[in-house]
Amino acid sequence: MFEKRDEQLIEQALKGSKKAWFALIKRYESGIYQYGIRMTGTPHDAADLMQDIFIAVFKSLSNFRGDGSFKAWLYRIAHFRCIEFYRRKRPDTPLEDSEELSCERPTPEHSLMSDITSQSLTHAMQRLPLAQRAVIELKFFGQFTFEEIAEQLGLSSNTVKSRLYSALSKLKLDLEVEHG
Amino acid sequence: MVNQSPEYLFGQWLDNALTEDERSAFEALCVSDEDFAARVATATQLNVAAEQFSAPPMPAWDKNATFIASDKPKWWQWQGLPAVSMAMSAAAMVMVLSGFSVQVEDGRVTMGFGQSVSSGPTEAEVAALVADRINDYQQANQAMFTQYVNALQQQQQESSTQLAQYLLKSSRQERREDFAELVQFINQQRDDDQRYYARQLTHLQREINAIDDGYTAVTE
Repeated sequence: MFEKRDEQLIEQALKGSKKAWFALIKRYESGIYQYGIRMTGTPHDAADLMQDIFIAVFKSLSNFRGDGSFKAWLYRIAHFRCIEFYRRKRPDTPLEDSEELSCERPTPEHSLMSDITSQSLTHAMQRLPLAQRAVIELKFFGQFTFEEIAEQLGLSSNTVKSRLYSALSKLKLDLEVEHG
Repeated sequence: MVNQSPEYLFGQWLDNALTEDERSAFEALCVSDEDFAARVATATQLNVAAEQFSAPPMPAWDKNATFIASDKPKWWQWQGLPAVSMAMSAAAMVMVLSGFSVQVEDGRVTMGFGQSVSSGPTEAEVAALVADRINDYQQANQAMFTQYVNALQQQQQESSTQLAQYLLKSSRQERREDFAELVQFINQQRDDDQRYYARQLTHLQREINAIDDGYTAVTE
């Protein structure tokens, strides 16, 4: 059975097909939820963020022109919603250059994660500034190229590379702390 | 000339886009620069972690809440409504300021600028209108009277005919009855005369008889 392309599902969803929209959600909800876990650090916040993201995506669905992949467009919206999520959480904190917007200690919710490595990684990522965390997320977990990440974040490709380079150094130390 | 920047080489490596020369430079950097090598190791570790990442099970979440566009906007929520409302208001103001008027007369709609709807017709128009109305009224009356006279004449003719027929009919019958009465009267007169003459004759006979008896007695 051939799966419908994203564009076909979008077209049907725009015509009012709930089934098509749910099929599209089903295709990406796992990835977005995991994105939320790594960006927020808690399953609860991740679920809230996921719902925010899909609501925003649905509202903007008619603006998707199809000149890039839907996945890239989806993650761009996810990034903006994530920024908004942190802005609501800490309205006075500048986001781009902020230091850790994270939990300082693993929360009980972390124990929900099924393995130690994923827990450690998630917690270590929380210690990164949001801007660096987003680059790590999109590069390693989203599997986007630097050009795509640059386009999604509205930055130059060199800036993205620089952020990733800096983030890896910090993340290495944090992972060492996590593994203790 | 190979770009020796660690960030550039690192990025090319992550995108799997190193040329042969860049790969040589990258490997040399990994050997000579511990910090760079550590980043490469972390990136490799992250790639593995990304493949093996296990998140908590997907929570049950309200997908229906994300499907909100099925409600079509109501007509009063049409985005062009304020613009149309503004345009209508502007048009109304222009109509008021320019003295726009609409007149409906005898099934004709007349629109124009610079004349007031409240100002009525002139006196000459009124006089002409009244004269027309009076003329129409007179003609209507004339026609009605003519019709009325014709009807009266026709009715009169019918009545006269009926009366004549009645008179003819009734006079014939009366004359017949009169003649019958006259004949009866004459017959009655004749009977009376006959009875009178009979009595006279009888009386005369008696007188004659009496005379005859007297004469006889005298003679005897």
